[in-house]
Amino acid sequence: MKYQVVIAGIGGQGAVFLVKVLSIAASLKDQKCLGTENHGMSQRGGSVSCYVKVGDFHSPAIDEGQADLLIALEGNEGLRNIQYLEKTKGTIIVNADSKFPKIEYKTIKIDAFSKARNKEFPIQALNVYMLGITLARDPNFPFSLNDIEKAIKQMNAKMAAKNIEVLHQAIEDARNI
Amino acid sequence: MKDILMGNDAIALALIHANVDMISGYPGTPSSEILGNFQKFKDKFGVDAYAQWATNEKVGFEVAYAGAIAGRTTCATMKQVGLNVASDALMSASYIGLKGAMLLIVADDPGFHSSQTEQDSRSFAKFAKIPVLDPATPDEAYNMVKLGIEISKKFETVTMLRPVMRVCHAREICEVDEKLDFNPQKGEFKREIKRWAAVPPAGRFRQGLEQFERIEAIKEYNWNELIEPKIKKLQGAKTLCLTSGTGNGYVIEALEEMKIEADVLKLDMPYPLPKEKIEALFVNYEQVIVFEETYPCIEEQLSSPKLHGKLTNDVHKIDEFTKDKVLAAFSNVGLIEKNQFYKSAKYADELPVRPPNLCPGCPHRDVYYSVMKVFKKKKSIYPSDIGCYTLGLNQGAIDTVLCMGGSISMASGFSIADPSKTVVATLGDSTFMHSGVSPLINAVYQNHKFVLLILDNSTTAMTGRQKTPERINPSKIDIKKIVEGCGVECHEYEYTPNVDKTIDFMKFLKTKYENATGPVVAVIREFCILDKERAPEKLPQVFAEVDEDKCVECDICTTLYKCPPMNYNENHKIEIDPFLCIGCSACLDDVCPTDAFIKVEK
Ligand code: SF4
Ligand code: SF4
Repeated sequence: MKYQVVIAGIGGQGAVFLVKVLSIAASLKDQKCLGTENHGMSQRGGSVSCYVKVGDFHSPAIDEGQADLLIALEGNEGLRNIQYLEKTKGTIIVNADSKFPKIEYKTIKIDAFSKARNKEFPIQALNVYMLGITLARDPNFPFSLNDIEKAIKQMNAKMAAKNIEVLHQAIEDARNI
Repeated sequence: MKDILMGNDAIALALIHANVDMISGYPGTPSSEILGNFQKFKDKFGVDAYAQWATNEKVGFEVAYAGAIAGRTTCATMKQVGLNVASDALMSASYIGLKGAMLLIVADDPGFHSSQTEQDSRSFAKFAKIPVLDPATPDEAYNMVKLGIEISKKFETVTMLRPVMRVCHAREICEVDEKLDFNPQKGEFKREIKRWAAVPPAGRFRQGLEQFERIEAIKEYNWNELIEPKIKKLQGAKTLCLTSGTGNGYVIEALEEMKIEADVLKLDMPYPLPKEKIEALFVNYEQVIVFEETYPCIEEQLSSPKLHGKLTNDVHKIDEFTKDKVLAAFSNVGLIEKNQFYKSAKYADELPVRPPNLCPGCPHRDVYYSVMKVFKKKKSIYPSDIGCYTLGLNQGAIDTVLCMGGSISMASGFSIADPSKTVVATLGDSTFMHSGVSPLINAVYQNHKFVLLILDNSTTAMTGRQKTPERINPSKIDIKKIVEGCGVECHEYEYTPNVDKTIDFMKFLKTKYENATGPVVAVIREFCILDKERAPEKLPQVFAEVDEDKCVECDICTTLYKCPPMNYNENHKIEIDPFLCIGCSACLDDVCPTDAFIKVEK
């Protein structure tokens, strides 16, 4: 199995956390996994893009037209990285409002910012929320809810319950997209 | 045992598994987590090791090098531009050699992700005549740390490990030792004046000859241990790809995915190369292409009409690899037709750029804003330095950025060259410790007239908040005393999130400057917003919002102040993003000329 994920967002939104969760999930399933995180300058609110490659890969970067999934924690950052998506079967899961333009890719859109503003979930968990949407709406996603829950627990047992709650809520919300 | 590790975690763990018990260095992206993680592992496993940040890379190198002369197994870490600072020591250390072992880890940054140059430390190793290993992934970095220590011990030479950002910050499931069997060497300095204090010309001439012999012996080793075992696996294709480090992964994936036939020989040690033996392999091939980041280090060591690479304009010369660039090289040498497989259209419309910015509430922002209010742009020159505060660029408050500590010497130069302007230099506390003291002494003794602001947040914020010397040992190290010791008065200002007060302090400095005959120096006591120990008590938790009726769209806040939460909304009025505002209250004071920023009443 080969599956490539680009995670795009703004520094501080926790893209790196998702790289960690997905690589733990891969290892729990005995899959090979190679990813890169973004550190340094990008922590200061700049654009961030991280990669996770599950399966037999050798280079840590993802090339244009190759990603199966693009998780965009913010709309413009999703568009900025859109060229990485595979043209026919790639999916973008994006946090954006109704102004997000129509694009020629399979798009799952949710306005997570407005939900956070309505205090439906804490904004700090935006990354986990978008992962929940992914679990619910990307049929090719190689991990199950159970895999991800295990990975989240392994990563940080103390915070796990809160994160898993957000995950479930996102899956619930995804029904209404 | 399998473990999911980031490259810098894998390197740190391997250092402990290789019995390194002295490590020093200076933070710099992408190398910083190596020493930081070593400290964590050291505490976790309870091993007895020296692991401290040095004031700069040269100091760190020298501490570790002396350890290795005294027989210990040591390591120094830095980023590639840090090696420039440590290079004076390295060049001589390469002649002299060592007794224990020393791994010099220098992290490169192809693609300029967070560096001012794209220099290739493998080429630096070649220049210094020390062996260098180039890992492709975290798992390989783990193994190469051990190999590097072994080579250093065997040949009594400093050995370099050169991971790039895509190794340091890559994450991979690595195979690591199950058991920790920490068994470091005892240090014992053995007097050998002819070696450790070899003087030119005779002493160094002799060591120069030894250096040549050593490199020849390492070439042999490189062939026998690292290259020859791989040769059997070559398939006999018509094209040979010579790869180094991360270049290897891109080539292998491109070959596999595009079903192109070529042999790949990865050179784990890109310097020193057994030139003749490698070239002898070429007879079986029609062409040989070298894939390496970022300089033609391997390519320059080989010669053959069959050889293609950066020097023949077949492989790209700047920026990181992509598989598209690999295919371009393949088509340049005629292996394949032009191929656009790894190309895809970018989003067509223009997207707002999102450059890195100072954090919301960062005290640096107020300082720069106040500097520009008081020392007007037209009549000033603003040299700055390397750190978070370089992002004052966004506010238009920085004119030059060169290298660590360069702000002060450049302030001297500008004050001589263009005395009609007021030079206001800024640098951080860590940079001041790193290389700000000698240029300050220079300015004081020669009476160069400029304003120097030392922005002291007592942390190396940019690279992940490593603690600085005055933070760890405040009773002994104080910037004010250091400045005074350099022979000049040091004014002091305790930052509060009240822009009016910061402006008043700048006005005070301006009057001092007017009557000064030499540098006017001030230390501004700040804090870093991300500093969990210090920031919370300093933040008033007074949040801002905008009175839309008052906002006249003057752009002052979005150009001169630039706090990230401030953006225009659809009504062309400024809006403050409540998710980003951290409640520092600073913008409520002076920033808006019509007082549109108001306090959020809860
Ligand atoms: S990390 Fe600290 S010093 Fe750097 S911009 Fe943020 S608040 Fe300022
Ligand atoms: S109060 Fe004003 S200056 Fe402070 S973080 Fe919020 S918007 Fe920025």
